[in-house]
Amino acid sequence: MPQIRQRTDYARARETTLRDHMAKAARLTGLIANLALWVSGICLVAMTGAIAAQVFWRYVLNSSLIWTEPGSVMIMGWFIFLGAAVGIREGYHLSFDVLLYVLPDSAKPWLHSLSDLAVSIFGFGMVRYGSELAINAAKTTVPSLGISGAFDFVALTLGGVLVVLFSLERILRRLAGLPTARFGEPEPVEE
Amino acid sequence: MDLWILFGSFVFLLAIGTPVAFCLGISSFATILYLGLPPVVVFQRLNSGVSVFALMAIPFFIYAGDLMVRGDIARRLVALAGAMVGHMRGGLGQVNIMASVMFGGVSGSAAADASAVGGLMVPQMKERGYAVDYAVNITVVASIIALMIPPSHNMIIYSIAAGGRISIADLFTAGIVPGFILALSLMVAAWFVARRRGYPTEAFPGFSALGGLFLNAVPGLILIAIIFGGVRSGIFTASESSNIAVVYALLVTFLIYRTLSWHDFVEATKAAVRTTAMVLMVIGCAASFGWLLAYLRVPTAMVALLKEISDDPLIILLLINVTLLILGTFMDMSPLIVITTPIFLPVATAFGVDPVHFGVILILNLGIGLCTPPVGAVLFVGCAVGKIPIWQAMRTIWPFYGAAFATLMLVTYIPQLSLWLPSLFH
Amino acid sequence: SACERTLRSSDTHPDGYPTVEAVKAMGKMLEEKTGGKLCIEVFFGAQLGEEKDSIEQTQFGVIDMDRVSLGPFNNIVPETQIPSLPYIFRSVEHMHHVMDGPIGQEILDAFQPHDLVGLAFYDGGSRSFYNSQRPITSMDDLKGMKFRVMQSDMFVDMVSALGANATPMPYGEVYSAIQTGVIDGAENNWPSYDTSGHYEVAKYYTLDQHLIVPEVLVMSKKTWDSLTPEEQQAVRDSARASVPVMRDLWDKQEAESEAKIEASGVKVVKDIDKTPFIEAMKPVYDKYVTSDKLKDMVKRIQATE
Ligand code: NA
Ligand code: NA
Repeated sequence: MPQIRQRTDYARARETTLRDHMAKAARLTGLIANLALWVSGICLVAMTGAIAAQVFWRYVLNSSLIWTEPGSVMIMGWFIFLGAAVGIREGYHLSFDVLLYVLPDSAKPWLHSLSDLAVSIFGFGMVRYGSELAINAAKTTVPSLGISGAFDFVALTLGGVLVVLFSLERILRRLAGLPTARFGEPEPVEE
Repeated sequence: MDLWILFGSFVFLLAIGTPVAFCLGISSFATILYLGLPPVVVFQRLNSGVSVFALMAIPFFIYAGDLMVRGDIARRLVALAGAMVGHMRGGLGQVNIMASVMFGGVSGSAAADASAVGGLMVPQMKERGYAVDYAVNITVVASIIALMIPPSHNMIIYSIAAGGRISIADLFTAGIVPGFILALSLMVAAWFVARRRGYPTEAFPGFSALGGLFLNAVPGLILIAIIFGGVRSGIFTASESSNIAVVYALLVTFLIYRTLSWHDFVEATKAAVRTTAMVLMVIGCAASFGWLLAYLRVPTAMVALLKEISDDPLIILLLINVTLLILGTFMDMSPLIVITTPIFLPVATAFGVDPVHFGVILILNLGIGLCTPPVGAVLFVGCAVGKIPIWQAMRTIWPFYGAAFATLMLVTYIPQLSLWLPSLFH
Repeated sequence: SACERTLRSSDTHPDGYPTVEAVKAMGKMLEEKTGGKLCIEVFFGAQLGEEKDSIEQTQFGVIDMDRVSLGPFNNIVPETQIPSLPYIFRSVEHMHHVMDGPIGQEILDAFQPHDLVGLAFYDGGSRSFYNSQRPITSMDDLKGMKFRVMQSDMFVDMVSALGANATPMPYGEVYSAIQTGVIDGAENNWPSYDTSGHYEVAKYYTLDQHLIVPEVLVMSKKTWDSLTPEEQQAVRDSARASVPVMRDLWDKQEAESEAKIEASGVKVVKDIDKTPFIEAMKPVYDKYVTSDKLKDMVKRIQATE
């Protein structure tokens, strides 16, 4: 990487400051990601419990629970959207990377950042239109659960917030010269 | 122009390494903006695409698989299977395929099968020195068996899409023989690949050792019996039986084997969340992408084109197969069934193809589509379970694609393979 | 085609289904009436999404028209709850009289505040109970039986009020659930009883016709507002003219299914005294018909010949 060594002191100093800021910010986003992952995990356990209850009621108690199916589908939405957002930060989403193998190394960060930017725009869409859907559905109630239809779209919206946050974090980390996690590569050391 | 934006942005994003889920989502978003339609529909499809009860089998089977691996159930089962058929060439590969036949009787979902069998077998195969791509390839393609061997909810979707005049019982029965032929041809492919790569065969450990391994594996065998028996007899739905698998795995590993610590449990849960959130996000975004394809009349246009090309039934069937394979690379199974059945089925029946036979062709064909990039839920599950990039699986998957395609051709051109078994019931 | 503007209409039913064919017929009439200015393309088989989603898409103006059941509207347009009430219609003819008259128009008009324009009502058939155990001739026969119902609070309450157990379950799983005795039966109309194959495992069908719920064709308010008054009239007229087309096709399909099922040896109970069933619905009506406006509508429907 000769280009990096030839950079001016000014650039290096700026990068160092940015790196310090990013390292601090990463502690906060790391906390948020960990919290989201825990919420997702609890959702998976809750979903397991709900369907187990459905089975128990149907086959052992010979009656039926009507909230388990819509309830667990809603819980599934939570762990998918929160889990998918954390996946951006931790880099566990599947990707192809074909172009990246033929291009020079110096082009990679630019394309990675372009990709992260596109993802953050999609995340913005999740927030913007997820809340529109939630507002539109707020007047209705979810059958068998009796809660507002807006709840159907809370996970989508909240997941979108995290998608924007974590993909912007990746761009800033890259600017600061810090590593970002990618599918199929070893995890970068967390500071 | 709208199609150029949809496919162009998709391919570009894919090439620069954007996660597959977001490639689908962003290209749909871009296209809807270009069309000047309310973009809200893209996100509505995303949300609805993952709000499907039947999808729940995927996280549960992945979760159960993770628990079985961490809690030692999987190792004991595979130790038994290895002792039984490990002395065959590609032993664990053969076991993997047989496991798919068994799990295929549990669920009609290939993705759930890939997660269940893959979660169980891939780590074990890795440990025994098989290349991960070999394990993933087998897991992925063998999962199509789950669609062929009843129960298969996709057969029901087909029956309904066909106007409901086709007996579901006949469709179920018709899938059995092609399902076993697929299993056989995959076993042959696994044998050849194993020979070429020189995978070591394992020594037969003797019958007393076998008996010991059997006793050790009993709780795991009971689990398979519960899932297999429960769904085969129709007592449990696929989602319910996958849930029972999780609960049972927890009980066995916590209480009987006492092999699962609290830490293992937390890690298994986190791992299951990571894998399934990623897979289901792809399925959700594929729903947006599929909506745009339907809105832009892509499948309809392709089919109209096909109708003009030929009037030879052999060629029509080949063209239908090729068209479906192409559509199948880009779209998910159930939307394709409902879109193409009403258009292809009349063409096929006009050329004397039995609707039950056509259903088997359709399901097998679209099943292969689940294993092909860029939109291949089963391929993604397999790669996620094996933790390898898609290109690595793609490099060596061809013998297995070949076996599946050969089966597809056999099933297409020998109607008796599908129709003989149901005819016994009339 | 050579149309200036093609309206996209969604339907969850497959191609060839009466509602799909009716909207296609409406499209032909509309093309004639507008001199080729407006056509309709039907996206059948839920290509654009299931009913709840296609309603939202129509409200947002992403698609122009939508053929849907009333069920998904019950939480959005309160008036649609009334024709969805169990035993509200005495017969299919009674339902036709009500929905073709002023009450039907009143319900169509109720869609307006929700960014939708109600165009016409189609038939959804009449739903009755079938089971694998015994012929049901009175409410006593229903006691303790387990029936699959759709995921709807009112369905669950209706079945409970009849003394049976309601088990919400996905449609595709009903066949094997009946076969293995997880449930005793389900409820549906003749064609669905036929096409689902449920008659193969549940051989007793009782025509209690507890639900005779029409389906509705709506247009997006956005699309509607973009049309000239003449075009709006043409849309209304051709929608109305498509209703008899739909009813003919439906009757034909129903008769076919009925003949096929009866020939297969299913025991059909046709004459049944519905009075005790209707009386048992009082708690259901009390729970769901709450406003005076809706109570009045129920009375007027009951008073309609
Ligand atoms: Na199956
Ligand atoms: Na594919």
